[in-house]
Amino acid sequence: MPEPMGFFTDTTVCIGCKACEVACKEWNQLPAENGGIGELSGDSYDNTRKLDGIHWRHVRFIEQFKGPYDGRWLMMSDVCKHCVQAGCLEVCPTGAIIRTEFDTVVIQSDVCNGCRACIAACPFGVIDVNPVSGTAQKCTLCYDRLKVGLEPACSKACPTDSIQFGSIVELRTRAHKRVDQLKAQGVKAELYGADPEGALGGLNSFYLLVDEPEVYGLPRKPQLPSSRLAKSATFSVASAAVLGVLALVGLRKRRMDEQSRGGGGGGSSNV
Amino acid sequence: MTARREPDPPGVPGAHLKWGWAWPANRRVMYNRASADLKGNPWSERKRWVWWDPSFVNPPDPKTGKPVPHGKWVGYDVPDFGATKAPDAQPKPDGIALDALSGTQPFIMRADGRGWLFVPAGLVDGPLPTHYEPHESPIQNPLYKQQTSPVHKVWAPGKPYNKLAAVGDPKFPYVISTYRLTEHYLAGAMSRWLPWLAELQPELFIELGHDLAKEKGIKNLDWVVVSSPRGHIRAKALVTHRIGVMHIAGKPIHHVGMPWHWGWMGLSTGDVVNDLTSWVGDPNVSIHEGKAFVCNVEKA
Repeated sequence: MPEPMGFFTDTTVCIGCKACEVACKEWNQLPAENGGIGELSGDSYDNTRKLDGIHWRHVRFIEQFKGPYDGRWLMMSDVCKHCVQAGCLEVCPTGAIIRTEFDTVVIQSDVCNGCRACIAACPFGVIDVNPVSGTAQKCTLCYDRLKVGLEPACSKACPTDSIQFGSIVELRTRAHKRVDQLKAQGVKAELYGADPEGALGGLNSFYLLVDEPEVYGLPRKPQLPSSRLAKSATFSVASAAVLGVLALVGLRKRRMDEQSRGGGGGGSSNV
Repeated sequence: MTARREPDPPGVPGAHLKWGWAWPANRRVMYNRASADLKGNPWSERKRWVWWDPSFVNPPDPKTGKPVPHGKWVGYDVPDFGATKAPDAQPKPDGIALDALSGTQPFIMRADGRGWLFVPAGLVDGPLPTHYEPHESPIQNPLYKQQTSPVHKVWAPGKPYNKLAAVGDPKFPYVISTYRLTEHYLAGAMSRWLPWLAELQPELFIELGHDLAKEKGIKNLDWVVVSSPRGHIRAKALVTHRIGVMHIAGKPIHHVGMPWHWGWMGLSTGDVVNDLTSWVGDPNVSIHEGKAFVCNVEKA
């Protein structure tokens, strides 16, 4: 079995060219929104705005400026995180979402019934329905390319190697080296999702960020849907108990009321 | 050979000749005879690169069998000179190519074998760089009286389709630059038909600073009219701090920018930004002055 594979995205070298977005769409034959006819978003150079069923890669543009020319322009190519503990995989009722031999998470379109449970379960908002297939879709980490020894289309197209593909162990070593290098230059740099002991058992697509995760639209503590299971189960049991007691009280009150009316109705005969 | 990845050992000076391959002849620094002085010795130990070894025993000439005098260019790199042409070699009066050069003329691709600090002929301006204002500018040249390049090109001077604004024209107070986006190619005739590219940059826009936007009552995504003496077009406003006001010659000057990839056909359509640009070009290669000219911006 091959070792776990994934992406290391070094956001400090992203130039916002969106070659990854286009390469992804070309390889996976994903349609453009509304046939390519759209409106300017007004949000920096970002006109696709989010990851969804037909955008499996998305480059964020974050303008951090105090005044004219005074600030920085952050860019980050976002994608499915291929979580080691994946929320989507956990909730999928049909078994359409599988973990592959590369330790990536793939939705099988021919098994998916479009129930959308995974859309709500993903802590990163990665998944959505592709209107062409009617099924939930997201990045497959180019499973078809990996099978034949090719790297994914996006990392292949990335001109600055902001998106790096490789074995997770090797990518983590490389990422830590890069963080050390940046810190030596006085740059605040942190890895997001590179810790196998961290949230979701680590992300097989992890990032080097130069600001808080929230700035990039990433949750600080991504959680599995099952993390809320104990709490919600307790609430369910508790509310069942409360409802049960209320029902008993109600029945008793009804009986008492009927009795107090002096057994006027036929109902009292069977008390 | 380009796949080779064998570096020189650590601490040993060298040109890493077994790392990849460089055209021509795997030579890493061109004209490298210049790394030695007139007598063929390194200028300094630190600058040692290729040098003349006068005691090198050359084999006899393979064609004529005649003995070849001692001496050869050696060093870390592949020497870029006649291998056995001694530093004291004299040029042959009727010689061709390297034969016409002496042993002290390293720039073997030049007719005179010497390095040039500037081009003495062929360019209409120079030889030293200076600062000129663009043909259209909101200010006088702060460096000296000569406002613009005295030899720059102006096509169709005085024609109605190439009216040019005077220096500091109050009707066109802003500086505009036009440029490209990675998503589109040239005027967009091909790329604006491609859905994957059109959705990434779906509409023409003008980038302007928050200060100018406030002054003109323009909000993000409002339609604005951009005008120059040549014409006027419409575009959506993209208000950002990435561009803004500059303080030049004591006055605030707003800078705006537009990509020029749009036209009237395709999935993504928009006005033609080159309707604004001036027909003015640089003196040597005639590249038109689309990076710096003047305009006015009003809310549509």
